[in-house]
Amino acid sequence: MKRIWIFLVLIILIIFGFIIYNKYSIKCYEKDFYYFDTYINIKIYSNNSKKVDKAFNYIDELFKSYHELTDRYNSYNNLINLYTINNNVLKDEYLKIDKKLTKLIKYGISLYDKSNGKIDISMGNIIDIWKGYRESGYGIPSLEELNYVNYNKISDIKLKNNQIKNNNLNIDLGCIVKGYVTKEVGEYLEKNNLDKFIINAGGNVLTGKKYKKDKYKIGLEKPTNTADIYKIIKVENKAVVTSGGYLRYYEYNGNKYHHIIDPETLFPTNYMESVTVITSDSAYADFMSTYLFLLPVDEGLEIVNNTEDLEAIWYISDDKIVTSEGINKYE
Amino acid sequence: MNKKDVILIITLLVIACVLLLFINQEKGNTANVYYDNNLVLKINLNKNNDYDVKGYNGNIHINVKDSYLSVTDEISPYHICQKKKIHNVGESLICLPNKVVIKIENNELDAIVGD
Repeated sequence: MKRIWIFLVLIILIIFGFIIYNKYSIKCYEKDFYYFDTYINIKIYSNNSKKVDKAFNYIDELFKSYHELTDRYNSYNNLINLYTINNNVLKDEYLKIDKKLTKLIKYGISLYDKSNGKIDISMGNIIDIWKGYRESGYGIPSLEELNYVNYNKISDIKLKNNQIKNNNLNIDLGCIVKGYVTKEVGEYLEKNNLDKFIINAGGNVLTGKKYKKDKYKIGLEKPTNTADIYKIIKVENKAVVTSGGYLRYYEYNGNKYHHIIDPETLFPTNYMESVTVITSDSAYADFMSTYLFLLPVDEGLEIVNNTEDLEAIWYISDDKIVTSEGINKYE
Repeated sequence: MNKKDVILIITLLVIACVLLLFINQEKGNTANVYYDNNLVLKINLNKNNDYDVKGYNGNIHINVKDSYLSVTDEISPYHICQKKKIHNVGESLICLPNKVVIKIENNELDAIVGD
């Protein structure tokens, strides 16, 4: 009889142990979102499924909010967003905007000086012209055409107490919003003790603490053959962002014209196929990857080698890849 | 307790440990679905499920069963991408007229960055 009891107790202990192990072991919770015209995937490694659910809901609301606020092409009920601002015909009128949008625009304005004019959020008109030509796939704009609409200046954006003055603006926040919002998501996760995560917002990657022995392995897509990976880097608590012209471009008369426009020349640049940046701050990574893409490689290399917590990899061509001095810490 | 009991107990514990190990091996593969070169969906091959994805000529129907993925319906002249099932890393289905590509992802990497 005694033997049967031991047997039963053992079975119960095993089942109990199994249940406890599963409930408290770290699992991967994954969710997809589609905002900013981009597929976003977030993986959170945690043992608390309720907390993760709550986090995903919060993140969804956050993405949705920024998506609607920065949408230049659609209006939303009872919301003053970029579409409203850019299309407002009542000159000199002040529009009250969401605090989040004020902060983001202010951040965008600060990047103009930081980048010596290469990042210019007031360039909506120029971007629209190039978008039109890219979609038609025929011809290129003349300098006259571009200069004619290039009357928006960064200094025309006047903000006062969460109000923005209408000054015939055409603000485009497309090149900074993904990194900026990814940063906020990362901060929220860390604040809520969900610090093991990886966010991939269409090429804007942010990693938290590693969840296993190895750090997060990030593959860098080869611009000349996107099915291939040309390099793998290993990171933890870092943002990895790539800027490149090899997906959104069109060809005309044997030349390629992509979507990243230099505010000085009003044309796309041709210094490289792509550049990937590694640094702690996701918004800074987004900014630097675009900035470096618009600079000649040696200028960019000089900047990166002289900046703390910043490494980069330039894919100039299939035979030429340049890396910054400290890149081996991620190899 | 005699020797037989001890053997029985140890055997049970070993079986339990082995089971636990097996159940946590469930890492599984993911398939990436691209429409016109843009990633539109990630499919977990561990879950039997059906998906509808927008293609150039109309919706494409994808089926996942027992870790095998196949395209079961699409509007195209020759239905080339319906002719096989994929299962291993590196395999892909290309539905050219619909501009849809389905690739089984390299599970080694946590993410891939690009433009």
